[in-house]
Amino acid sequence: MIFSEDTILLMYEITDVIISGLTIGSVYALMAVGMTLVYGVTKAFNFAYGEFFNLGGYFAWILIVGIGIEMGGYVTIFIIVILLMLAVGYGLEKALVSPLRKHEDWEMKVMLLTLGLGLFMSSLYMVIFGGRMKSLPPIIEGTLEIGQLVFTYQDIMIFFLSIGSILIFGWLLNNTRIGMAVQAVAQNPEGAKIVGIPKERIFASTFAISTAMVGFGGVLLSQKWFINPMSGSSIMIKAWVVTAFGGMGSIRGGLYAAFIIGMLESFVGWIFGLSYGIIALFILLLATLTLRPQGLMGRGE
Amino acid sequence: MLNVTNLNTYYGESHVLRDVSVSVNQGEVVVLLGPNGHGKSTLLKSICGLVDQTKGRITYQNQDINGLRTEKIVNMGITYIAENRELFPYMTVLENLKLGAYSKNARAYEKENLERVFELFPQLVDRQKQLASTMSGGEARMLAVARGLMSNADFLCMDEPSLGLQPSLRFEVFSTIKEINQQGKTIFLVEQNIPQITDLADRIYVMEEGSISFEGSKDEALSNEHLKEIFLGM
Repeated sequence: MIFSEDTILLMYEITDVIISGLTIGSVYALMAVGMTLVYGVTKAFNFAYGEFFNLGGYFAWILIVGIGIEMGGYVTIFIIVILLMLAVGYGLEKALVSPLRKHEDWEMKVMLLTLGLGLFMSSLYMVIFGGRMKSLPPIIEGTLEIGQLVFTYQDIMIFFLSIGSILIFGWLLNNTRIGMAVQAVAQNPEGAKIVGIPKERIFASTFAISTAMVGFGGVLLSQKWFINPMSGSSIMIKAWVVTAFGGMGSIRGGLYAAFIIGMLESFVGWIFGLSYGIIALFILLLATLTLRPQGLMGRGE
Repeated sequence: MLNVTNLNTYYGESHVLRDVSVSVNQGEVVVLLGPNGHGKSTLLKSICGLVDQTKGRITYQNQDINGLRTEKIVNMGITYIAENRELFPYMTVLENLKLGAYSKNARAYEKENLERVFELFPQLVDRQKQLASTMSGGEARMLAVARGLMSNADFLCMDEPSLGLQPSLRFEVFSTIKEINQQGKTIFLVEQNIPQITDLADRIYVMEEGSISFEGSKDEALSNEHLKEIFLGM
């Protein structure tokens, strides 16, 4: 016996914390990619982002608990929620955001608009669903045991589904005509117009995809946590911190940042208690922005 | 082929183009000259739908195009090659070129046009994987022209393709433009100076303070006292 029993216990606990960090980090990554995408392409912020996270959760809740869809299990739910989120995102962009773009200083106006939209959505959730939190059944039950280590299949699923979606998204971004067009608009909007890329449509599609990503994240994490009508703003703040820490508009930076922050949150939560997580987050962000204002991988000005 | 009639363009409060009328016929190289900041680029951008406030008539092959979105205009076969190049800095040369063929009208000809562009600019062949942001001024300008050609346009609006180039490169750019014209493209070219373009131009317009102040053949331009004064300082 090399290690004492206490040491072994501690190692299991640490492993648990790491797994939790990886799981949460993977969903943060999904959210950060969605947020950085909108910022990168339109240079405007969507402050209702956290509410779309909850909207995904509520859509899933309506489908599972409200309507009771059983056919195809979670696969059906994922597909329907993603399609709904795409439609909501596209519709909102066309109806509310796109008219603002005709005005000067529209980036600022979009921020104010989405801030108001967020407040509206969160109040709407209270009215429709009440203040009590809702929970979703796990995608998959059971645990995987390797020696003394116990992984829940749910965590494993969440991790692979988030990372899988990011990889698929990244592949589409680099290997399809529309993906390249999105990057073109992000790198040079005027140049994109010159080559005949329909900028307005790319803006709306980007907004829709980002909405679907955070909504999907909402479905995934709502099985671990709960759907809370008031949680949108704190989710928005987390997504924002991950995005700023990684470097605005840098997808790879957002990925690294998400895992660093997921881990940080788990470890700080384990050592000091859950409520210290957000404090640690901001200390990290402040330190980064002081030393490296463009974030981890940002390109700077 | 292209007719602009009584065009007025505004940037917010300022009235940039005043009752401008120009026409370009198929197969021509028409050059628009004039001092800096007198509205030459604005005219090209107005034609290509890159400016919001335009009043007047612009027709291309007898179709009204004023007020159409740029993507529609590009699809009809007009392309703008920008003075400040407007490349995609973090993409490779090849990716920039492929995006040049984004419009529906160009997609089917992507391969063909890529070969043609590489024939015209052999220097770009070895640089396909280089990022656009790491190219020198002259190379980036070539890439901008090449990307414009990828759009399969019949009508090219070129905004000072020689700007900032050393004389030998300028000569090369102009001979390339001649070659492009001989391949059947119609060219509306903005330049600042007469002597550079004497071999190239079929007709010349001069723009001063947002209005067309001269229109004629290059011989007429060369013998015009007023033009000698503004361009040659004589």
